[in-house]
Amino acid sequence: MAEFVLQGGRVVDPTHGTDAVADVWVRDGRIVPAGQPGAGGQLIDASGCVVMAGGIDLHSHIGGGKVNLARMLLPEDHRSGAGEPLPLPANPLELPSCGTCTPGTLATGYRYVEMGYTAAFEPAMVAANARHAHLEMGDVPILDHGAYVMMGNEELFLRMLAERWDFQHIRDYVGHTLNATKALGLKVVNPGGISAFKFNQRSLSVDERHVHWQVTPRQVVHTLARALKELGVPHPLHIHGSNLGVAGNIEATLATIDALDGLPAHLTHIQFHAYSKDGPKKFSSAAEQLADAVNARPELSIDVGQIMFGQTVTASGDTMRQHAQHQLGSPRKYIGADIECMAGCGVVPFRYREQSYVNALQWAIGLEIFLRVKNPWQVVLTTDHPNGGPFTSYPHLIKLLMDRSFRNQQLERLNPEVAALTPLRDLTRELTLSEIAILTRAGPARLLGLTDRGHLGAGAAADIAVYRQQDDAEAMFKTPRHVFKDGTEVARDGRITAVPAGGVHFVEPDYDRGIERVLRQRFRAEGAVNLDHQPIGRDELCGCCNQGRLLPTACHEVSA
Amino acid sequence: MTVPPTTDSPALAERWTCPFCPLLCDDLQARPPVSGAPKTGADQPQRWLLSGGRCARADAALQHFPAVSAAAGPTVDGAPVALDTALDAAAAVLAASHAPLFGGLGTDVAGGRALYRLACATGAVCDAAAGPAMMAALRALQDRGGFTATLAELRSRADLVLCIGGDPSANAPRLFERPDGQPPHLRVQLGGAAPADAAVQHVPGRGDLFDTLAELAALLAGRAVPQPDPALQALVARLQAAAYTVVVVEPALWGVDAGLVVEATNRLVSLLNQRQRAAALWLGGGEGAATVNQVFSWLSGLPLRSRAGPRGLEHDPLAFDAQRLLRDGGADSLLWIGSFGPEPAPPPNDLPMVVLGHPAMALPARRARTVFIPVTTPGIGSAGHLVRTDGTVLLPLFAARADGLPGVAAVVDQLLARLQAPAWRVVAAAAEVAHG
Repeated sequence: MAEFVLQGGRVVDPTHGTDAVADVWVRDGRIVPAGQPGAGGQLIDASGCVVMAGGIDLHSHIGGGKVNLARMLLPEDHRSGAGEPLPLPANPLELPSCGTCTPGTLATGYRYVEMGYTAAFEPAMVAANARHAHLEMGDVPILDHGAYVMMGNEELFLRMLAERWDFQHIRDYVGHTLNATKALGLKVVNPGGISAFKFNQRSLSVDERHVHWQVTPRQVVHTLARALKELGVPHPLHIHGSNLGVAGNIEATLATIDALDGLPAHLTHIQFHAYSKDGPKKFSSAAEQLADAVNARPELSIDVGQIMFGQTVTASGDTMRQHAQHQLGSPRKYIGADIECMAGCGVVPFRYREQSYVNALQWAIGLEIFLRVKNPWQVVLTTDHPNGGPFTSYPHLIKLLMDRSFRNQQLERLNPEVAALTPLRDLTRELTLSEIAILTRAGPARLLGLTDRGHLGAGAAADIAVYRQQDDAEAMFKTPRHVFKDGTEVARDGRITAVPAGGVHFVEPDYDRGIERVLRQRFRAEGAVNLDHQPIGRDELCGCCNQGRLLPTACHEVSA
Repeated sequence: MTVPPTTDSPALAERWTCPFCPLLCDDLQARPPVSGAPKTGADQPQRWLLSGGRCARADAALQHFPAVSAAAGPTVDGAPVALDTALDAAAAVLAASHAPLFGGLGTDVAGGRALYRLACATGAVCDAAAGPAMMAALRALQDRGGFTATLAELRSRADLVLCIGGDPSANAPRLFERPDGQPPHLRVQLGGAAPADAAVQHVPGRGDLFDTLAELAALLAGRAVPQPDPALQALVARLQAAAYTVVVVEPALWGVDAGLVVEATNRLVSLLNQRQRAAALWLGGGEGAATVNQVFSWLSGLPLRSRAGPRGLEHDPLAFDAQRLLRDGGADSLLWIGSFGPEPAPPPNDLPMVVLGHPAMALPARRARTVFIPVTTPGIGSAGHLVRTDGTVLLPLFAARADGLPGVAAVVDQLLARLQAPAWRVVAAAAEVAHG
């Protein structure tokens, strides 16, 4: 591969504490130390530009069963506002694909890459449907990808807790599941609550008991967090906590943090879990309490799940909460599913409205959290695509974080009670370019254990976004001048220029395979999928991913 | 032809997923017949041997796969030709077509991926052989959504199973098998002919199925019903006492009324879920239909009965019905895909036609150009992936034996390569076939 030098750009690389004009040298898809360009080396003028590593979205529903159900539920997302067919792409490198809140996988890849992102991670893979998730992600062109497999609601796992199985067996079950599904991490969704809903329990807080298994979410969270730590998986437990969207759920969120007992964890779409029930409408911000808890615990990280106004669809594994809220959906239709004695899913279209008290407050709470958490390495920029809004709204969100006057202007358009009440107006913080680079690439790479991504040091993959520096952050981050994936230019000025297959990140932690004998019996007893068919081999994974690169992520050494 | 080993280890050779009905049973093993073996002798049977369970449908389907795929090779207008010649002729059919229709769609994920690229390149409308029932369910979903369960929920958690309008296990023989140690669930059939299985309680209803479903919904909702059917009242009591009900429907049994049955079932499930727990299970989407529908949906954002046409990316679940297009002259060529067995064969038509099919698929003599390319079957001659009846679980298929036939994906990729080659090549190839 030809080498090239990006010359004279402002290199913003927080992993190395860099924010200065410098050259970036690339050879064979990697960043290399500055030196003499070889014959055929290309010089690319980056003066007037900001050079960052490619963006990394650590929580975006880009592939798997429920994403596809959302597409099928919403043909209107794939037509113009007037109901007409959307035009075919003018660019011959693109295949036809459309949609805004539920784009086809092809459109997902093109639109992410056009705004400088080079990786996105599906956070809710069902173990029995892992191949589907990998096949869909494999059809997201250009972007690297990976997925977190969901555990904590399998009848088998809850049985293990209820029957007090040895912790080692549970840890090995987790190890088996991560290996078999080629996951990069592990997510728990409404711990125990998805199963409880199958037994007609309609709510489950952290210290309540599952009506059938008599297990608490506290036990589920602690057990899974400990298992991941002992398996040496770099990304700690990814937690979608109890009581999503419920007024007063900050108590459950703080109790979940307490359940971790100092174990590391990532609390996802935390905006949906930071509500107090104080105030005249019994619904108010708990962003400050949440931020205090995160600021006090360096072992925690969060992503925000910012809501953006307009039409979207919420697609979640949390059947219990989606069922409870489906009457609020717009348009009024709803998909739910109880899945294979291990999971669930709920898909509810939603329109966030500026004049809605609740929606306006959700918007303000998300921004408050971004601005109140002191250490940017603990926060990741997400909208929980598509649940809070489509990922294409990221440039707008970045502007809200970097530009206080713009933020306060937007605040004026909202429900007047919220505009008057929210402390957001008084938060003066404006995130710097370096902080944005942490929230959108350096931080997520570190949280996922991707040592050669998210930065521009020698040896890193040459996933690079080159933005024209300008005062309008939204315009700047919307259309980078160049985007490189593994050293190949894949977009220029918002136009796709090459369509390589993306790679797949996964972990393969060591575990005692003796557990498989027990699992085989239990799977059979539930009439579940054949355990011996469950493991996805490396060759099969490669085929699922259209021959994309396999990117195993090293696990930590674990002392016995 | 030598048959290479299909797997590396004996343990892997045991892995099999049955591709022949929408249940995709993954607890059976199929041992292929061995060619040249004596006709008797248990060790080297002439028939496929199914173990791990019994299934009449799988048994019957397997017998369409003889020891060595017979001399079946590609044909053009019935005459044997080399694969390249057949591909040239097939590409010429598509190149000359302004309104191609891709039908059948009996293939796996890989085939679906390849077909999407070809459909985009040609502007083809795509619809599955099982399109009518599948689209009825899809349209109901697009309208209101729905709540479903998967097979494991049915097998080990449901204590009440309500079958609407008939016995869906006729086409999916192992649907109601219970894992060892699971207590039996209560099965009730609403409407339809009296079930053969005496263990199934029959509630025939007093009017047609739609009246019965409406009355059941009214009773469940607590609305006043004049002179209610006592059997329905008893069923309501059962439903209200159940811990978890699965309502099973096979939309294909209902023809043009499939949409109504699906909607009524969704209403029933939704009513039950207000106070207790229930879910629907749709039986269907087998032989690649649900799979290709999922693949197209994820790639483009739109399901089948769509096309990348002159107006853009267009989805029309009514106008893009394959049967309707064939009947009304809305297509000028047909590419038919059927890799799971000799049936379903393409419907009668007089269009130029390309068939990628099971080697024993019977095609009538026709006046229009007819290209036949035999393809391998995912789950028999090749590995693959299919979506199960519940639509939420996608399973791997494993090769049971090699057959030397190309897969749908490989053939479609070659067709696309020809179509994207300089135009003169396709024209020249067409001329050669025409004169050769």
